[in-house]
Amino acid sequence: MLAEIFYGGIAALLAAGIVPLAFSGRKAAGTFSIASAAAGCVALLALSVYAFFSNGSESFAIYSILPSVHIGAAIDGLSSFFIGMISAVALAVIAYSSGYVEHHEGGRRSKNALLSLMCIFIFSMVMVAASSTMVSFLLFWEIMALSSFLLVMFEYRKKETAKAGIFYFVITHLSTVFVLYGFLSIYQATGSLDIAPAGAAAGAAFLPLFIGFGIKAGIVPFHKWLPYAHPASPSNISALMSGVMIKVAIYGMARFLLFVLRPEAWWGVLMLAAGTVSALLGVIYALKEHDIKRLLAYHSIENIGIILIGMGLYVVFSSAGMPELALLGLAGSMFHTLNHALFKSLLFLTAGSVVSAVGTRNIEDMGGLVKRMPYTAMLFLIGAVSISALPPFNGFVSELMLFQAFLQSGTLASPALKIFLVACLALFALTSALAAACFVKAFGITFLAVPRSESAKNAREVSLPMLAGPAVLAASCMILGIFSFQIFGFAGYAVPIPDMAIIGMLLAVSYAAAFYALRFWSPESVRVSETWGCGIPSQNAKMEYTASGFSEPIITIFKPIYRTNKHSERLFFDKYGSIFKEGKAEIELVKFFEEYLYMPVAKAANYIAACIAGFQNRGLNSSVLYAFAASLLLLLVVRAFT
Amino acid sequence: MTGDFMIYAALNVAFVLLASPLFMTIIKKVKAWAQGRKGPPLLQGYYNLAKLVKKETVYSPNSSWIMRTAPYVNISVMLVAALLVPIVMIPEPAYGMGSVILFLYLLALGRFFMALAGLDAGSAFGGMGSSREMTISAIIEPITIVVFAAMSFALGTANIYEMFAAAPAMPSLLPIAGALFIILIVETSRVPVDNPETHLELTMVHEAMMLEQSGRNLALMEASHAVKQTLLMAFLINLFLPWGMAGPAGIIFGALAFLAKGVLLCVVIGAFESSVAKLRLFRLPSLFMAAFFLSALTVVMEIFA
Repeated sequence: MLAEIFYGGIAALLAAGIVPLAFSGRKAAGTFSIASAAAGCVALLALSVYAFFSNGSESFAIYSILPSVHIGAAIDGLSSFFIGMISAVALAVIAYSSGYVEHHEGGRRSKNALLSLMCIFIFSMVMVAASSTMVSFLLFWEIMALSSFLLVMFEYRKKETAKAGIFYFVITHLSTVFVLYGFLSIYQATGSLDIAPAGAAAGAAFLPLFIGFGIKAGIVPFHKWLPYAHPASPSNISALMSGVMIKVAIYGMARFLLFVLRPEAWWGVLMLAAGTVSALLGVIYALKEHDIKRLLAYHSIENIGIILIGMGLYVVFSSAGMPELALLGLAGSMFHTLNHALFKSLLFLTAGSVVSAVGTRNIEDMGGLVKRMPYTAMLFLIGAVSISALPPFNGFVSELMLFQAFLQSGTLASPALKIFLVACLALFALTSALAAACFVKAFGITFLAVPRSESAKNAREVSLPMLAGPAVLAASCMILGIFSFQIFGFAGYAVPIPDMAIIGMLLAVSYAAAFYALRFWSPESVRVSETWGCGIPSQNAKMEYTASGFSEPIITIFKPIYRTNKHSERLFFDKYGSIFKEGKAEIELVKFFEEYLYMPVAKAANYIAACIAGFQNRGLNSSVLYAFAASLLLLLVVRAFT
Repeated sequence: MTGDFMIYAALNVAFVLLASPLFMTIIKKVKAWAQGRKGPPLLQGYYNLAKLVKKETVYSPNSSWIMRTAPYVNISVMLVAALLVPIVMIPEPAYGMGSVILFLYLLALGRFFMALAGLDAGSAFGGMGSSREMTISAIIEPITIVVFAAMSFALGTANIYEMFAAAPAMPSLLPIAGALFIILIVETSRVPVDNPETHLELTMVHEAMMLEQSGRNLALMEASHAVKQTLLMAFLINLFLPWGMAGPAGIIFGALAFLAKGVLLCVVIGAFESSVAKLRLFRLPSLFMAAFFLSALTVVMEIFA
């Protein structure tokens, strides 16, 4: 029965991807695609929820391409968790897209192409999570990379998009190269291409796999593609990429680093360090951003860091022989993966609504939208509260689990490890406090006070499908937070955290008690009058606090991290420099990773390419010669090594 | 919920609500004495709140429902937080209550909505206050967490109820008291971080955020601020001066003892505020570094002890 549902779901997604391409000019094809994809996601969601809670594992089918090269699918606890997450988010995104595509510029063919690529993208992500061999993992991983590349390039006429797309294309293939190398070293150690525990012998595969999946997940310093690619793509695709595609890389990490290979203690330390640095730098860069989608992209880097911190805790604790804390860390990490998928896609979708209503991504041109787009504002706020890890919503619960694991690390034996963990804990706490500051900025400047531009003043609430998709996500953020204790209990894990249902109920009761007690004491009288502006009678948008102003104190404090260069030139009338004539000052942000890491690599690659270029394009004869020489060399090498 | 817990909850919350305005007034009184003034009568805090509740609430036409809900969110967050910090007696931990992280993030929830309300009216003052408040709270956060990490390493628990039950804290934890005091000053917006007395734009952080609040909303905001102060004071008092904290039998004695110790701490806070000058905003990190040093020192001592 499970197999039929799985095949049905996959087939529906595939059909949703192919039909709009075949009938690209028809609106009906687009409608069919949405319906079919939604049905497929519902089936997969039901399947994975059932498989996850019944703790079942099942492998579906295996197709042999060559002897010992198979393509296969299987479902166990971990993959059903990720398939469930992908299909749940995809369902909401599909609902949103049914409205969003209509607003999207371009003809019917372009709209259908967007839908079709989106469905293929979803299909490939589900299949990566369901793969049971490394061959099929790589195959669908590549389909995922290519379809997402095409989606990033969707608005290819914009110059900025083209640049982002090419950058993404290069980086994503770099990731594939590392993953492929890791897979080959596992194969070398075990002689099998199946995804199965490989034992300690395959430890050499750790670094390539960590780097490969790390690039795709957006870990610092491999993160630069995220803030380029996410804002460039259409908003529904940003939601999918940030919400689930980088989680597929997390799936790869969890699957291969934690379960296929046998984790060693230093892996955990590396993961914790990488996670902490990513989390902190992600949020610090986000604070500086005024492009709403880029801001959210930087927050994805932050949250990937948090997920990695949880995995690091799992490895550290399990190699220290503390299974309870290890489980807490792993559960926190996986729960945060799910939570981030939900609230980040919620935020990207609602941000997309705002961008399409206002026509700009710059939050300095927004403002006052809470009155013009009340439902979108409410949904964005729920996402903001969740991502800022505020109780009783889901983001808080997963971070709470990680905090609890950290606070109980006092029983670890190694003093050095304990000090390292306290340092990570302090930076982790800083991260989540900065995230709250950043989302006060993001929500406050975007939605509150007076509109800062004409287009923000004329913004209108978006259509029903564009509210329904995010609403589902917002509801799941609330439910997963408030009933987290019960849900973990249902999955058979008595998680040592406070019961959020009680906390939520207490909050609601005290809210109502305060409200009615004051009403009972004296009836409320209300007057509406101008904001106080030091005597200036009418307030205008220029007098408001700006987003740059808001983040200025934090930026000043963390100046060494931003590495800004300030230049100022001043001219004076007199030679003593006392009467000022004119001058100019500029502040420039040093793109640290680009200048010191990416550019040297790119330059070296260019240099080598230039050296080789001389051998290229010399006609058929020389090509045949090269092929002959290469085969000869290969034979000699193989001969020498066997 | 069990009957015992209900009784504890009602008593604890009622005590915190009733005592908090008094503590606020005492600090004002001490500062007035230090300046050679007479200061307000001891019940002034209560009169102010009662007066504000009866006054009309003025809303800016720019403001939205955020402005209208933020005060209630703040007070309800503080009421729930008051359950997590035992003051009159220590109950059995139930439903995982007493998690120190939950306590910190409840405060953060209140702050989040307060900062949004600061931005809501579109006034530059409110925005400035929100921005500074979020900055200060962000950089004090790692220090707070290290303080609690040190305590949970030393006392073997991350639950406030169990921490208080294990008090008095051992002498090696004394540096933590210094760090907790700085956290108390920072979180309650007092000199040298902020000045609760002025509405001058150069000094104000918390007051700037409150500028557009009026009537009962202002009363709620002030009450929640006072409750927050009492709860943070309780950490210092119950960890380092726990004597007199009795079981269910001596609730009244316990409450009176806390009141006396609270008044003492308020005098210290008032004297401290009167003796230092307001720091420039960008000089604050050095104050925080002092607190961080104290807490990191304790952690290192705990780890190598």
